[in-house]
Amino acid sequence: MLSRSGAGKRISHLVNVLKATALSSYKEWAAYRNQMAVSVFVGPVFFLTQMFIWRAVYATRTTLNGLTLEEMLTYYGITAVIGYLTYDSADWNLQWLVRTGGFLTFMLRPVSHCFYAFAEKVGHRLLALLVEVLPIYVIFYFVFKIKLIPAAPSWALLSLALSFILVFLTNYCIGLSAFWLTRTEGLRRAFLTLRDLSAGMLIPLTFFSEGMQKVLFYLPFQFITYAPIRVFIGHYELAGITLPIPQVVALQFLAVVLMFLLSRILWYFGIKRFTGVGA
Amino acid sequence: MRTNLRIYLAGVKTALASRMAYRGDYFLSILIMLLVEMAAPLITILIYENGASFPGWSMYEALLIQGVFLLGKGIAYPFFFGIVWNTVERVRGGAFDLLMIKPKSALFMAIVTGFDAEDLGKLIGGATLFTLALRRLPPPGVGEWLQFLALFLITLLTLFAYGVTLAGIGIVWIGNIRVYDIFNSLTNFGLYPAAIFSKPVQTVITGIIPIAILGSVPATVLLGRPSPGTWRAVGVSFLFLAGSLSFWRAMLKKYTSAGG
Repeated sequence: MLSRSGAGKRISHLVNVLKATALSSYKEWAAYRNQMAVSVFVGPVFFLTQMFIWRAVYATRTTLNGLTLEEMLTYYGITAVIGYLTYDSADWNLQWLVRTGGFLTFMLRPVSHCFYAFAEKVGHRLLALLVEVLPIYVIFYFVFKIKLIPAAPSWALLSLALSFILVFLTNYCIGLSAFWLTRTEGLRRAFLTLRDLSAGMLIPLTFFSEGMQKVLFYLPFQFITYAPIRVFIGHYELAGITLPIPQVVALQFLAVVLMFLLSRILWYFGIKRFTGVGA
Repeated sequence: MRTNLRIYLAGVKTALASRMAYRGDYFLSILIMLLVEMAAPLITILIYENGASFPGWSMYEALLIQGVFLLGKGIAYPFFFGIVWNTVERVRGGAFDLLMIKPKSALFMAIVTGFDAEDLGKLIGGATLFTLALRRLPPPGVGEWLQFLALFLITLLTLFAYGVTLAGIGIVWIGNIRVYDIFNSLTNFGLYPAAIFSKPVQTVITGIIPIAILGSVPATVLLGRPSPGTWRAVGVSFLFLAGSLSFWRAMLKKYTSAGG
């Protein structure tokens, strides 16, 4: 009974921290909402290029790798929306804190930095939902006539939520490398490029060779974008493997758990190396 | 001129020395810059390898356009496009004043202090793609090479004009580094053959906003089939350059030195 009440208090404390940090992050970034609103121009312009490219490619065919032109454009539409919803800078923030010594203050706080950073992201993305995601969704829906309506809304929402956490955890792991490397700009860029490529953000993963698709299937990155898109569309296929949607979401959950464990291991070893240099 | 060159080289030397403090990260960054730029060519290759194509364009012709585009960017980004982030950051931090009090123009000093050593990776990437694509195509004649070089010079001038415009925006739109996103989204059209776009878009990117001049226009000359509207694209580029310099001067007058 006592332990249950202890757990309750702990959860309540975490929820309060989450709310307070998210709100402060939301307010802080609201001052820079114009920067965020740039996406309302940039997103549709990028999409317009994709539209022309794929229209040209589909000029002589009706399907490509099992996708029709409409499905391909929907793929890129969902990619953009997922990208804006799950965008994360935990890697950059953490390496900056380590490099400048600002991380020292987090050692004195009664909250884990990982949870604090996650709460910051929640606030940041809540603002983005209003300033970036919803306007872009409306533009895609009414201007480009891309019907971004999930086949199974509850599974799609769950998959999006897991993608949100997975992006954070993978980026946080990269940020943790600052404990060893101090400046991680190169590693960060390398990771982001590989992540975007193997997550299917640049092109559907089914465009890769059979062997490459098999490799990508076993990497966690497909659960960042490719899997949520497939859940959104309602059917999943990669490397010749077809999975039912609940199974895809279950695998996505497993990827989140594994990434969380990896972040804990990196933290355990990394924090021992922190010397407060730069403070 | 010689003094200016000496000042510029001093800026390059300082930037390189400073970046070498973390040389492991620097060399990794160069490699990554090279790989990052290969995203668009990779998509093109994957499209062609899956049996599809841009109608009327072979894979290497499409890659040549991207090679020219990336080569231009590869020269611009390290050597003079740094004026954008340099101006944006200095205006926000208040250090732009330091450029104003130097005995050289603020624009020149922004270029000198904005050398970006990491972006040399873009240059290596662009040059590699350009060479690889060209080797798989029939060799161009001397006349085609001369026309290409003249047009490529205009490509670089246009990129300079974009840099000056974005830096000018950075003087009044404080701290907004997303001007790069605006630039990248617009110029993304330049990575592909202009002919795959609709007629109105072709008109816009050739004769109104100089985008086709960044890739398609010079590359098609090298392929021996110049794009329609090449002269218009050249004219628009010069107008854009003149406009960007006027814009910079106008924005400089609006500078309030309120950063810090």
